[in-house]
Amino acid sequence: MLLTLDHVTVAFGGLVAVSDVSFSVSEHEVLGLVGPNGAGKTTLFNAISGLVRPSKGKMTFCGHDLTGIPIHKRARIGIGRAFQVPQPMHELTVRENLIVAQHFGTGHSNPGKIDEILDLTRLGHKANRDAASSLALTEQKALEVGKALATNPRMLMLDEVLAGLETNGKRAFMQTLDDARQRFGVALLMVEHDIETISNTCQRVLVLNFGKLIADGSPEEVFRNPEVIRSYTGGETA
Amino acid sequence: MMKYLSLIIILAGAYLAVPLQFGGNDYVIGIVVSALTIAGIAVAWAMLGNLGGMISFGHSAFFGVGAYGSALLAMNAGLPVFPSILAGGVIAGVVSILTMPTLRLRGPYFALAMLAFAEIFRILAIEMRWLTNGSGGLLSIPRLPTVFGFDFGSRLGGYFVVLTLVLLTVFVYWLIRNRPEGLALRAMHDSEDATLVVGVNATRLKAAVLVVSAFLTGIMGAFNAHYINFLEPDYAFNGSWTTLAIVAAIFGGYKTLWGPVAGALIVYLVDQFVFKAIMPSGHQLILGGLLAAIVIFSPSGLLPWLASRFRKEAGDAAHP
Amino acid sequence: MFDLVAQSVFSGLLAGAYYALIALGLALVFGTMRIINLAHGELVLLAGYIAYTAESRFGLDPLAALPAAIIIVALTSVIIYLLLTRIRVDREINSLILTFGIAIMLTNGILMIWSADIRSTTSGWYLDSIIIGDTLFAMNTEILFAVIGVLVVGAVWWWLSKSWYGRALRAVSSNRDAAKLMGIDPRTTEILSFAVAGLLASIAGIALYSGKVIEPSLGHSLTIKAFIITVLAGLGSVPGVLIGAVLIGVAESLTATLWSSALQGLVSMLLFLIVLLVMPSGLFGRTRRRG
Ligand SMILES: Nc1ncnc2c1ncn2[C@@H]1O[C@H](COP(=O)(O)OP(=O)(O)O)[C@@H](O)[C@H]1O
Ligand SMILES: [Mg+2]
Repeated sequence: MLLTLDHVTVAFGGLVAVSDVSFSVSEHEVLGLVGPNGAGKTTLFNAISGLVRPSKGKMTFCGHDLTGIPIHKRARIGIGRAFQVPQPMHELTVRENLIVAQHFGTGHSNPGKIDEILDLTRLGHKANRDAASSLALTEQKALEVGKALATNPRMLMLDEVLAGLETNGKRAFMQTLDDARQRFGVALLMVEHDIETISNTCQRVLVLNFGKLIADGSPEEVFRNPEVIRSYTGGETA
Repeated sequence: MMKYLSLIIILAGAYLAVPLQFGGNDYVIGIVVSALTIAGIAVAWAMLGNLGGMISFGHSAFFGVGAYGSALLAMNAGLPVFPSILAGGVIAGVVSILTMPTLRLRGPYFALAMLAFAEIFRILAIEMRWLTNGSGGLLSIPRLPTVFGFDFGSRLGGYFVVLTLVLLTVFVYWLIRNRPEGLALRAMHDSEDATLVVGVNATRLKAAVLVVSAFLTGIMGAFNAHYINFLEPDYAFNGSWTTLAIVAAIFGGYKTLWGPVAGALIVYLVDQFVFKAIMPSGHQLILGGLLAAIVIFSPSGLLPWLASRFRKEAGDAAHP
Repeated sequence: MFDLVAQSVFSGLLAGAYYALIALGLALVFGTMRIINLAHGELVLLAGYIAYTAESRFGLDPLAALPAAIIIVALTSVIIYLLLTRIRVDREINSLILTFGIAIMLTNGILMIWSADIRSTTSGWYLDSIIIGDTLFAMNTEILFAVIGVLVVGAVWWWLSKSWYGRALRAVSSNRDAAKLMGIDPRTTEILSFAVAGLLASIAGIALYSGKVIEPSLGHSLTIKAFIITVLAGLGSVPGVLIGAVLIGVAESLTATLWSSALQGLVSMLLFLIVLLVMPSGLFGRTRRRG
């Protein structure tokens, strides 16, 4: 198993954002994570990357117990993360963003791989010129994925990277992700609202509602599950 | 290309033109040496400010520790002056480890905690009489030596040494800035989470840049001790070492490589040659005003402002 | 020995109430706007010099200079606020640097106007000492300004917690936008807080002049003392200022008595660093949403 969560709970004061969630991700798997807004998806990612501390439960990644592992060491063991709201390293160029990610995420430098990532994310023409903060939103999202890939992840968490793209953009981006998977052999854990995209790409889907995991299975099963349908129609349309 | 050319011109000017023009005038050279000393502190200070995102009000502590460290080693252990200047820097770097707990403080609290440290070091330098001779100070600190017949102990010799030290400081800064560590440091302030999740250990990098900054500041202090051959706590640990460096760095543009140097030269030379002549007491009033004006009108400093003016003019010329 | 310690604690308490006067203006601005005014000590000093001029030029009692000091110092304080509002980027650090620049200007302005000579009051009454309960000595000025200090702390506390303006100020400091919606003009209340800080600095400056010697370079250390007390007090706590000030006063006084007067400064710096460093980061840190 790559990642295992065992009864993980995250609370902010009285608000339980993630409640008693257990699941696992295996090597090379493509796993969807869906749920209405505020369901706790981003918080779950934060717990895995170490930005918030679970109040209960245990997480293991590649046999490492994550509890004692500080945030900055999680990239080294293979956890990659693309933020929902892109967080480029503003003052740096695209290439510098990738250099930093590679240097600290892997411990060595490999310019060839950086060129490969630039190529893959279609950011090559912007690589050296402007500060990353001047990129368009779609480019920033591509850079999010690029930075994560530069750390040589074994699992990549993608937080709504397709949201806000039109259909063609989505297709192109999915192609990018698929290429990345082919080339680098990473597992994907992706939050996505578009059910069609999820059904087409994911082998397995998790559904989160009010912090609870209410379904875990193949897209066909999950999207037929009445509780899942209720959570979607009762909650936000998204 | 342009960049290298201007660098060569500046270097030639600094090493040849200035000595040829003013070499005989100890008064002018003396003031230029002071300006360069402040430039060195300003670069070291700006390195911490820009790369570490930390504004320190306590760099006089490192200056003073470097000065006393080097002076004492040369006087009591008989270390030759140049190695002892290096050792002074190392001592300042080691001492900065004591201040590391402040790294977890945010902006203003870090600034003022460092100020407190500087004050503590000043008091200690006065109180540890057995080591520093207290307020009595240290007299006849060994001067810079004569090497291959050239007397570095002269005003002009001091000029060459401090000039070289400042250039080395800028070079070290440049090296660090372009390494992945330097990039990560620059990114850290406004993209903290982004750097964390790709594996950047912010605390360790900040600590490292603090040590380097303290080391370089200590070197300037050590040079100064052997240049003026005399130290007392209220001189070596004087807050104005920090103040002038801050004014210089902010004025020139503390996020640029050469801004602090340009700022120190302009601010200090204009202050000494112009303002001081106009109003002998209280001339630093203008420096304070300058600092306030820069923060309000052009917070990124003079060099970035000039660069943007230049770009704009060039743009206007291209599209009339 | 016991008498010595008792006297030392007593002097420390009196000094503490006087320190509270010095710190209160800085703490008020810091508590309501999160701005550290590094020129605060210079404002106090300015008031001290105004008292000096009133006494030496016009033969007035230092206290009689209060109205003039309040007008000039409060005005200067408001000008500082107006300059602060011009800052566009990186407000936290740039406000520090701006007020630092203003502090340099004030120090040198004072130097130009009043020269570098040290000054102190010539009114004998202030420096006369009285004996309380047979054993405890104090100068009249210490008693007077300790009483004023406590009263002023009480008044400011009342003003912030009970009066409409005080509550408006707290509303602005906790949520500027919400306060706007409630019809409170943040600028007005913030100007007021700077003006009040100036008023408090004026009282402190007169206390300073009538009990100690003043010189132009003193402002810096007054600012540091005020900031140390503010940190000890905890964010925005008015009674905390009095407690923090008394703590510093007594600690310094005891250090001087039992150890060495040169180490006084060391003690307050160490106290300050300890409090800063053990302070849970929650007090000064922001909690923000991530991801
Ligand atoms: N730092 C935080 N402090 C307090 N509450 C938070 C914080 N982060 C998220 N929440 C709350 O946790 C819940 C889950 O949010 P989130 O994980 O962002 O949901 P999703 O990504 O599924 O839309 C929401 O109710 C949100 O308001
Ligand atoms: Mg989310």
